[in-house]
Amino acid sequence: MSDSRFLSLEKLTLSYGKNVAVPEMDLDIGKGELVALLGPSGCGKTTTMRAIAGLMEPSSGAIVLDGVNITRVPANKRPVGLVFQSYALFPHLNVYENVAFGLKLMGVRGAELDTRVNDGLKTVGLSNFASRKPAELSGGQQQRVSLARSMVMEPKVLLLDEPLSNLDARLRLEMRTELQRVQKESGVTMIFVTHDQVEALAMADRIIVMLDGKIEQIGTPEEIYNNPVSDFVADFVGFENVFERVDDKIKTANGDIAINGTIDPATKGLAWRPSMVTLGEGPFEGTVRGTSFAGGTREYLLDTPLGQIKAECAASLPAHDFGAVLNFDLPVAKAAQLARTGNL
Amino acid sequence: MFQNRAEAIALVLPAAIFAGAVFLVPVVILLSEGFRTGDSWTLQAYVDFFSQSLNQAVFLRTLKLAAMVTAVAAVIGYAAAFAIVNLPPKGKGRITGLVVLPLMISPVARTYAWIVILGRTGIVNKALVSVGLSDEPIRFLFTETAVFIGLLQLFLPLMIISLISALENMPRDAVPAARVLGANWLQVFTKVILPLTKEGLVIGGTLVFTGSMTAYITPAILGGSKVLMLETLLYQRVTMANDFVSASVIALILIVMAFAANLLLKRLATARNKR
Repeated sequence: MSDSRFLSLEKLTLSYGKNVAVPEMDLDIGKGELVALLGPSGCGKTTTMRAIAGLMEPSSGAIVLDGVNITRVPANKRPVGLVFQSYALFPHLNVYENVAFGLKLMGVRGAELDTRVNDGLKTVGLSNFASRKPAELSGGQQQRVSLARSMVMEPKVLLLDEPLSNLDARLRLEMRTELQRVQKESGVTMIFVTHDQVEALAMADRIIVMLDGKIEQIGTPEEIYNNPVSDFVADFVGFENVFERVDDKIKTANGDIAINGTIDPATKGLAWRPSMVTLGEGPFEGTVRGTSFAGGTREYLLDTPLGQIKAECAASLPAHDFGAVLNFDLPVAKAAQLARTGNL
Repeated sequence: MFQNRAEAIALVLPAAIFAGAVFLVPVVILLSEGFRTGDSWTLQAYVDFFSQSLNQAVFLRTLKLAAMVTAVAAVIGYAAAFAIVNLPPKGKGRITGLVVLPLMISPVARTYAWIVILGRTGIVNKALVSVGLSDEPIRFLFTETAVFIGLLQLFLPLMIISLISALENMPRDAVPAARVLGANWLQVFTKVILPLTKEGLVIGGTLVFTGSMTAYITPAILGGSKVLMLETLLYQRVTMANDFVSASVIALILIVMAFAANLLLKRLATARNKR
């Protein structure tokens, strides 16, 4: 076991009855990493996490944690913590008792129990809430209790299922920083599941993009954001104009169309973010079918010979009306070059 | 909702008068019989009732059988309800339907069905004798066991239904959360499931206990005069001895026991909660 293979999934296959949710997944996660499992709903990310926690038995393959094969170890004996999307606090116990729940089962008693529970509550800033019942807490506070309840167990891996999805926009930002802080301070290996690329990009050291039970791409937030390997990943991280390549042309609904620049023959597809589309000049014409103001920028939906194109320009420029005809270009030099296509 | 209380009272009044006339008054009259000797008020009827060893035995047997049926229904009920709640929605609906089905069949028919099964020439005895496990038919009918089985199958659905709704109201991830926090299945039950479903258990327990105490047809058919329970004793006193005083005493005992059982179960539930 090396630090880069602290948690390993080896040909892990997960099924619901006859339906294979995750086929033969291989994945290594390093000690102390903060990893995001990113994908649309139904991609197998939550299933994978439940299997790591022991709540679902793999049909084949192995899970190795810190050199120990835990594939057949029951959930209650794994050194793994899990923060549920619903928080799953015990409503009949107060905050202190919730955090003490796992420690008591471990046999921690008396002064040590008290110290560890209070330290846990302090870490998440809820020392004054020890005697409250979960129903008397806000969603954000419940989330923190759930986090503390798992953290006091000192798990080797902490899993979080959609940790921010039930919080409002403001709390989400706060909780993001909070989770990163707790992770950096404790050094715990943390894996969180999300369908929100913004969340994954903002928090993770490394992102694993999943589709249909398979890993599409693994990379740092920068790599995923700038160099998506496939049309699916490109679309998922905000490249809204994705095309397959045919020779030196791009494939559109209206046939193959040549674009400016030379395309690397290894490239299977090209993708542009709205901000990468040159607006106001270029060989193509598009009719404005929709506009939306986004603060610093204005986004246009254009009907073009290439199909619908999303383009964006500074909001300080004069706005174009519905039906206005604009010139634009898709510069190859700016495009993300996709190594795989066919998943959109 | 109402402009004034008079409107609300006016709407309730017909039902109240009807219930008072046909239920409350007769019950009060009947129960008061038990406290009267001639013109004076006294507890003598109760002293007399409990001084007879037959009555003591019937009282204790009723209590024992009702308690046993409730306890066994709770154990079987939790297992069944937990399994049903975790089924996919389609299967859940079907199985719940099957659980409720017996409630739609007349208890007389259901109880007579047990005679077909447990009688001298019933299925069980035929099987035992033909396999050679027993030389002659075993007497199942007119035993406490028969009454116990009959009452259990009569009231088990009520327990299961109460526990299903209690389990469904539990937070969805409470059980997996407890597992991940290190609880074995016994601890999951005692520390999470039981405290979170105790209301359902109190409701189910009260229904089953009260039902078993006051059931008439099942002990009458499966127990007969060999295994008297309070309800069959009451009927016997009235029809055979025209003894309305004993009937009144038994009726009040049954009412008090029902309330006591409910209070006790509630007390047990909250005691566990305080810890």
